[in-house]
Amino acid sequence: MVEGEAAAVAAVVDRYGGDADMLIPMMQDLQEEYGYLPPPALRELSRRLGVPLSRIYGVATFYASFRLMPRGEHTVQLCMGTVCYIKGAGRISEALQKEFSLVPGGTSPDGKFTFAPVNCLGACALAPVLVVDGEYHGGLTVESAVGLLRRIAGGAPAPGPSPQRPAPAAPPVCACAAPPPGAPAPPAAPPPSAAGGSPPPPAGAPGPGEPREEELAAGRREPRLPRRPRAPGGAPPGKTGGRKPGRRGGGKP
Amino acid sequence: MTLAAVRWGSAQELEEYRRNLRARRDPRARRVRVCIGTGCAAKGSLRVLERFRAAAAELEGGSVVGVRCTGCHGFCERGPIVVVDPGNIFYPGVKEEDVPEIWRETAVGGRVVERLLYRDGKEAPPARTPEEIPFYRHQNRVVLSLNGVIDPTDIDDYIAEGGYAGLAKALTMEPDRIIEEITRSGLRGRGGGGFPTGRKWRSARDAPGEPKYTIANGDEGDPGAFMDRSLMEGTPHAVLEGMIIGSYAIGSTHGYIYVRNEYPLAVKHLSMAIAQARERGLLGENILGSGHRFDIRINRGAGAFVCGESTALMASLEGKVGEPRAKYIHTVESGLHGKPSCLNNVETWANVPAIILRGADWFASLGTARSKGTKIFSLVGKVRNTGLVEVPMGMSLRRIIFELGGGIRDGKAFKAVQTGGPSGGCIPAEHLDEPVDFDRLTELGSMMGSGGMIVMDEDTCLVNVAKYFLGFLKEESCGKCTPCREGIAQMLEILTRITKGEGREGDVERLEELGAILSDASLCALGTSAANPVRSTIRYFRAEYDAHIRQRRCPAKECKGLFRYAIDPQACKACGICKKRCPVSAISGERKVPHVIDPEKCTLCGACYEACPLDAVRKV
Amino acid sequence: MPTVTLDGRPCEARVGETILEVARRNGVWIPTLCHHPALEPYASCRLCLVEIDRGGWGQVVTSCNYPVRRDLTVGVEAERPRRARQGVMRLLLARCPESAELRQLAGRMGVDSTPYPKVTEAQRNCVLCGLCVRVCAERIGASAIALAGRGVARAVATPFRLPSEDCLGCGACAAVCPVGTIVVREHPGEVEISPFKSRVKVRTCARCGAPRAGEGAIRALIRRGGVVIEEILAREDLCPRCRRTRLALDLASSGTRARADGEGGEVP
Repeated sequence: MVEGEAAAVAAVVDRYGGDADMLIPMMQDLQEEYGYLPPPALRELSRRLGVPLSRIYGVATFYASFRLMPRGEHTVQLCMGTVCYIKGAGRISEALQKEFSLVPGGTSPDGKFTFAPVNCLGACALAPVLVVDGEYHGGLTVESAVGLLRRIAGGAPAPGPSPQRPAPAAPPVCACAAPPPGAPAPPAAPPPSAAGGSPPPPAGAPGPGEPREEELAAGRREPRLPRRPRAPGGAPPGKTGGRKPGRRGGGKP
Repeated sequence: MTLAAVRWGSAQELEEYRRNLRARRDPRARRVRVCIGTGCAAKGSLRVLERFRAAAAELEGGSVVGVRCTGCHGFCERGPIVVVDPGNIFYPGVKEEDVPEIWRETAVGGRVVERLLYRDGKEAPPARTPEEIPFYRHQNRVVLSLNGVIDPTDIDDYIAEGGYAGLAKALTMEPDRIIEEITRSGLRGRGGGGFPTGRKWRSARDAPGEPKYTIANGDEGDPGAFMDRSLMEGTPHAVLEGMIIGSYAIGSTHGYIYVRNEYPLAVKHLSMAIAQARERGLLGENILGSGHRFDIRINRGAGAFVCGESTALMASLEGKVGEPRAKYIHTVESGLHGKPSCLNNVETWANVPAIILRGADWFASLGTARSKGTKIFSLVGKVRNTGLVEVPMGMSLRRIIFELGGGIRDGKAFKAVQTGGPSGGCIPAEHLDEPVDFDRLTELGSMMGSGGMIVMDEDTCLVNVAKYFLGFLKEESCGKCTPCREGIAQMLEILTRITKGEGREGDVERLEELGAILSDASLCALGTSAANPVRSTIRYFRAEYDAHIRQRRCPAKECKGLFRYAIDPQACKACGICKKRCPVSAISGERKVPHVIDPEKCTLCGACYEACPLDAVRKV
Repeated sequence: MPTVTLDGRPCEARVGETILEVARRNGVWIPTLCHHPALEPYASCRLCLVEIDRGGWGQVVTSCNYPVRRDLTVGVEAERPRRARQGVMRLLLARCPESAELRQLAGRMGVDSTPYPKVTEAQRNCVLCGLCVRVCAERIGASAIALAGRGVARAVATPFRLPSEDCLGCGACAAVCPVGTIVVREHPGEVEISPFKSRVKVRTCARCGAPRAGEGAIRALIRRGGVVIEEILAREDLCPRCRRTRLALDLASSGTRARADGEGGEVP
C-alpha cells in the first residue's frame, strides 16, 4: 500500500475519533478523496478500526454509492425516478448505453464516462434529468442526451464559467456559498461557477447551443483536489449516489 | 446579515434579541428574494442571484435594497423564482437578462413588470402575488410558511419570523405535558406509517435505558417525492427546533438526522443550521438555561432506499449494512445500539414547534377526524402545475389535481394518481372526490406514504407502471428475506412478459398469489407493501391487464410491440421526412401521396413518430 | 410464567423465550432453515411462520425470534401461516430446483413441487440463510466471510472474492450449511474450503506427520493465548498421541511412571 494511503486512512479514522459506528462516513470521506474505495485502503481501515474486513466489504457492496473501481473521466447520472421514467428516461438509458458502450454502474471502455442510473433526485419538475459531473441537465430527449455526452467526450470545455463572463476571483459574498462557521475555508476550491441560464428548450426541439444548467452552490464536483480539512461532526456536502444493477456482485469485486 | 453571534442563556435573552432584531428590520424594506433550492439552481438561479447582488452593490445615494437567497417555494417547474418586497411581487422563470429590468422597475422603483408576471394560461390575467395564483391560493402553508421567505443559512431570519419561540415555551412545560399536547393534537407520522406521534413519544419516554436517541428520517427515497428535500433546504431550523423539543420531552441527549446523500444542499444547510444553533446555545449543554442537554449529528445515506425503513436506518447509523430487523420489540424500546430511540420523519418534526406554540386545539381544527393538520404533497407527473403543495388533510384529490395542479396538461384525460410511492397504489378517476386522509387512502388500496402524488394520463400504461415499481424495488431490496428477494423477482418476470406481449392466462392470479405471500411473509415494510402497486392496478385496471394478455394489445399504446404506428392520410402532407428516417425502409409513398407504413417491416422503433413535423404518425 | 397456546394446546413458557423454543420443547414441529440453537436468530428464511391471535386480527410472525412476554394464542397449522410457509418454500424450490435437502424439507411441509420458474441465480444451491457467516462471526470469531451485495445479487463472499486471510480452515461453515453448498476438501498439508477458495495450510505433527490444525487456527490461538501458547507450541510441535509417547519416554528415563492422564506421578 502506498505511503500516502496509510496516512489518509489514519486521518479519516481520527476525524471521527476512531468510532467504528462511523464506518460509513469514513468510507464516504475516503471515496471522496480517491474517487473510489481502493482495496488496500479498506484493509488499512479494517486494521485500524478493528472491524473485520469482510464486514467492510459487505458495506462497500451493499450501498449503491460506493465503488471499488476507479471512475471514468466524467460521471453521468441519469435519474430513473417515476416522473423521469414516464417522460422517457428508460429510452434515454438504452440509447446512452448503446451509443457509448456503457453498462449501469460501469465505465465506458475508453474511460470517458461512468454511467450511474440513480434514484429520484428530487428535481421532478425538470424531468428527464441527467447530472454530468454535478451539473444538472433537464428536459432531455434521446437526441439531446446523446448530443450532450458526445460534446463532452469530444473535449468540450468541462463544466465551468461560461466564456462570456470571467470567473470570479474570490468566492462569492453570499452566505450560502461560504463554508459553515467554524470550518476552515477550503484551500484552492473552485468557486461555484455559472454557465448559461435559460431553461431547457421543449422536449423534441433541437437545441442550438445546448443550454447548460447551474452547478449547485454545494459543488458536486469530482474530487481532484488536495484533501480538505473539515470540521468534525458536521458532514460536508457529499457525492451523489449511483444505483448499482442487480447483476453486480455475482462475481466481480 | 448576521449580527455578532450571541449565546442565549435563557428564553428571556432570546426574546430580547428577537425584539431588537425586529426593531432593526423595516417591514417595508425593499428586498429581492431569489430561490436557490435545487430545482431553481438547476435552472440557473445562482447566476440570477449574482446579478442582483452586483446591482445592489452598485447602488448609490445611501439607498439600500436587500438581496436574499431563499429555499424552495415548491413551484420548481416555474423556476427560477424571484419575489420582490414590499408587495410580495412574484416573478417566475426569471432569466439573467430579466434582472436589470426587475431591479430597476420593481426593486428600486416599486413598479411591476407586467410581462414577467405569472399567467395561469395564455389568456389569463397576470397575477402579482402568490395569493392570485391558483397553485398557491388554495394551499395552507404552515410547515412551508417560511420556505422562500427566509435565508435558510441565516438563523437570524428564522428568529425574526418567530423561530425557537416554540422551544422557549416547551422548556417551561413539563415533559409529560408536552407529550400530552402532541398526543391531543392528533399528529401522525408524515413519513408513511402514519403512527400517532404522541404515542411514540410516550413509549420512548417510558422505556428504560440510556442514552435515548432522537432521530430524524430525511432519507426520502420515494421516487417523485421531494417535500423533505425542500423543507431541509429551505427551513432547516424547523426540523432542529422540533427535534430539540422532542428530545426534551422524551429525555434524550443524542440526536441524528439521516439525510440521503443525493441531497447535498440539504446536508449543507442543515449543517450550517446546527453550527449556528450550537453557537447560540440552542444545542449542546444547558439549552437556554434549562439544564437540558442535546446535540445533533448528521449522517448521510450511501444509496439505499431500504435505509428509509427505521431499523435499517439505525443499522446504517451503526456502520452496518441496511438490513431491517424484526420489530417485535419496538425501536422506541430497543433501537439504535439497543437503546430507546424515537425516530420521526423530518416533516413530522417540523410540525412540532407550531403545535407547541399555537396549541393542540389549533392543529386538531385542521384536517379530518383521524388525520389532523396539513400535509405537504409533491404533485408531479402529467399535471400542468407540478410542485409541492401543502394542504389541510381531507382536501379532495380532485381539488388538488385540478384546482391547484391545473388539471392534465396537453388536454389529455386523467387516468390515475399514484400515491405513496412504491408502497402505494393507483387511484382511478372514480375516486377523485375522496379526501386525502391516512385511512381512506389505505381503504382504497393505496396509502398516503410520504406524500408523493404522481398524476398519470391516458397515455400511461398502468401495467408498465406496476412493472416500473417492481423493478425499482428489486434493485432496492436488501435481499435478506426469501419472499421479498425471490417474490419480487418472480412478479417482475411475469410483468415483463406481459408488457412484451408474452402474458399467459393465469398470470394475474399468479401475481395475486405472490402478492399474498409477500404481504404475510416479508420481514419489513418494503416487502409487505411491494405488491401494492400491482394489486391496485389489477383492482382498478384489470381490463388493461386482460388486453395485454389476451389480445397482446396495450390500450395506452405505450408498451413496445403491443400497438402499431400508422400514418393518418388526412394529416399527412407527404413531406417524406419519415421515409428518410425509417431505418428499415418500411414507409412508402410518392410526392403528394400520403405515405404508408408497412406493418410487416416496421420494427416499432418510433423514429417516424418522433420525426413527423405534423404529428401525422399515430399510435393505434 | 406466561402460557403459549399452540394450536389449542397450552404450554408453559418463560419470559424471553421464543415461540420456537416453546414449540420444540413441546414436540410441535415448525420448519426452519436459517435457525441454529448455537446462534442468534436471523429470521431470514421465513419458513418458521406462525400466526398470533390478536383478538379480531391475526399477526403472522417468525417463531424463531418472537419473544414471549405474556400469554399468547398461536396458530401453527392454521390456514394462513401454513399457506405462507408453503409459499416461501415454493419460492426457495424455484431458486434451487436441484437441492435434495430442500426437497426433503419441502416434503415434510406438504410441498411437493413449485409452480414458479427459476428467475434468480444461487451459487451451488445457496439459500442465503446466513448460517455460515453467522457461525464464523459469532462463534469462531474469524469473520472470514460476509454477505455481500444486495437483493438478488446478494451472495456469501470473502473480501474482494479473494482467498480470505482470516480463514482458520476450521470448517464450521461447512458444518452448519443446511444445503451442502460449502465443501471442505483435504489435500496433503492443506485444507480447502470451497467455494471460498480458502486454502489453509495444516500444521502436521513433527514426529508422525498426522494433521493437527489449520495454520490459521493456530495463529488465532496464539493471538488470543499470547506468548505462553506460542512457547509451548514452539517446544512441542506434536500431536496428542506423540506428546504422550514422548512424555512417557521422558518419565521412564527419569524414574517416574506416567499416569493415565498423562501427568507424572511419583513411583511408589
